[in-house]
Amino acid sequence: MAKLAHAAAAPAAAATVGVGFILKKALISALVALVLFSLMIGVRTEAGPEGGLIYWTRFGDLAGMVGGVFVGSIVVELLRMWWGPVDTAKMMPAGARKTLGLAGRVVAPALLIFTVLVPVIFYNQRYILDLGILVLTYVMLGWGLNIVVGLAGLLDLGYVAFYAVGAYSYALLATNFGLSFWICLPLAGILAAFWGVILGFPVLRLRGDYLAIVTLAFGEIIRLVIINWQGLTGGPNGVSGIPRPTLFGIPLSPGPNGLAAHLGIPFSPTHRLVFLFYLILILALITNWATIRLRRLPIGRAWEALREDEVACRALGINTTTTKLTAFATGALFGGFAGAFFATRQGFISPESFTFQESALVLAIVVLGGMGSQLGVALAAVALIGGFELFRGLDQFRMLVFGMAMVLLMIWRPRGLIGHRAPTVYLQHKQAISSDLVKEGHG
Amino acid sequence: MTNTSTAPLLRIENLRAAYGKIEALKGVDLSIQPGEIVALIGANGAGKSTLMMSIFGKPRAKAGRIVFDGVDITTMPTHLIARMSIAQSPEGRRIFPRMSVAENLQMGADAGEGSDDERAATLERVLTLFPRLRERFGQRGGTLSGGEQQMLAIGRALMSRPRMLLLDEPSLGLAPLITRQIFDAIRTLNKQDGLTVLIVEQNANHALKLAHRGYVLVNGLITMSGSGAELLARPEVRAAYLEGGRKA
Repeated sequence: MAKLAHAAAAPAAAATVGVGFILKKALISALVALVLFSLMIGVRTEAGPEGGLIYWTRFGDLAGMVGGVFVGSIVVELLRMWWGPVDTAKMMPAGARKTLGLAGRVVAPALLIFTVLVPVIFYNQRYILDLGILVLTYVMLGWGLNIVVGLAGLLDLGYVAFYAVGAYSYALLATNFGLSFWICLPLAGILAAFWGVILGFPVLRLRGDYLAIVTLAFGEIIRLVIINWQGLTGGPNGVSGIPRPTLFGIPLSPGPNGLAAHLGIPFSPTHRLVFLFYLILILALITNWATIRLRRLPIGRAWEALREDEVACRALGINTTTTKLTAFATGALFGGFAGAFFATRQGFISPESFTFQESALVLAIVVLGGMGSQLGVALAAVALIGGFELFRGLDQFRMLVFGMAMVLLMIWRPRGLIGHRAPTVYLQHKQAISSDLVKEGHG
Repeated sequence: MTNTSTAPLLRIENLRAAYGKIEALKGVDLSIQPGEIVALIGANGAGKSTLMMSIFGKPRAKAGRIVFDGVDITTMPTHLIARMSIAQSPEGRRIFPRMSVAENLQMGADAGEGSDDERAATLERVLTLFPRLRERFGQRGGTLSGGEQQMLAIGRALMSRPRMLLLDEPSLGLAPLITRQIFDAIRTLNKQDGLTVLIVEQNANHALKLAHRGYVLVNGLITMSGSGAELLARPEVRAAYLEGGRKA
């Protein structure tokens, strides 16, 4: 173990935690890595030329990985020491804090203005428009899930189920009955909300890990039903030929009835992209607006109180059953809207789009953004989805970079990008509350 | 239902409650007149908190009756009981730590009916009673000290304008000075607002001095009852609950 020498050379800064502690932690991590990787990396199997299984060992790679984990663990511990305990507020000079506060207030409007201008600035860059639509879809999904996870504190690992219900609702209603997007959109939302309630009932008594497992299973059930109910959903082949959305009945297509012809301008496929961009932007903003409004109503307050303490909620006369069900239903409603949008954008949907990975991604956006923070969720969606695209050139290392970034972020900001929750003061109180007093409680 | 001044506000008859097979209450009888402060004392595990919680239906009574203000609430859903002008400040305070003091108080008011004016008046009353809450109005509940959190829990319960307040161990883990402040506030509420109080306490000395009447609960049964002063004077009460704990 040549690595030991390496560790022993760790700086004397270990005074507060102790070299022994760090070494022990690193050793345990290395041991776990050894057990995990010995089969995953240490032994490589492949089908041989005669069809038999051949294998060879890669102990060099294995040693490298285990060593990497060992050193990495030490580095993480040292970093942690350098940052200090994560939950102590770092003292900042008043000036810096003021600038930061101002920046915080400017970020959201600036981001919104920029988003509105994206189709104007990048009109000729199809790639950026497509990416923008994708990011906004995830912003909307994040905001929708935020109601369930961030506000009501119900850990939902199967959110993609509602996205799927929304998408299939629109796809099937439109292809079978020829209903327009604008009629199907609310229907898709209502159907998804209905399934939210269906999911809500069996999990009323569950919390935390148990709830997460059941919701995870629910997501899989929906996906498997879609795959296997071939008569209705087309099974793995999906639904194709889903109609594109229209601008109040005017299709965005070439030809004499199209929007371009009506306006007397030459047709361009970009029109549709721009239209989709603004459509999802409006849908996302509706989600945001609804969440902000709901938070100020008794029901939104009850969601947050439910996240904090269920027993206390009951003692205060809150019906926890309806409170949980409305949280699931509201979250699902917006998931359904996003699903309908997804279906109309793609024109084709199949069960492959609704795997657990999507749920995990949306949940990651909510957690990274800071549970309950609207701006945080939006920033996290931009960072994650945009980052995914940014690192596309790294191929398989993309996930590695992604994972590392997440770990670092969670060490650095354990409550997410924007971890502080803006209190909404409801009670009219004669004595005006100074902003200092209100801010005091965050952290 | 007749509601004369002699009818008890809360009447409990032969109440039995259990956690699985373990019976925590084995037939408790208790009644509280409007305007009374009643203390319930007993050792750890005697069933004090169970009694308090089963009034709110958690755990549900297995047998017996709970009548509040002439209405049988034995099988009523918890959230509806909590809307019957009976409020509870649960054991361990259970405030909402990430929500501000204002929001915590608002949560208490959400269940109660009443106009905005009434609500504002109640708030003013709570903040006068606990000036510390006024100072901390915009602060997060979790950043308050233990005593302040207890004040917040009581204040939150009061926001629904209850006629009766159930207090579960309000002095738990608090400094003697803070305990006295809280007990003073309870006395004030009783005298000035006519609030009926059922208080569960381990701090028997304090509780019995505050209360008009008291009950002693042992292993799920009421073994003694009487006026506060009477119980304080009883040698068996002194021996069981006061020896060694008598500093105040």
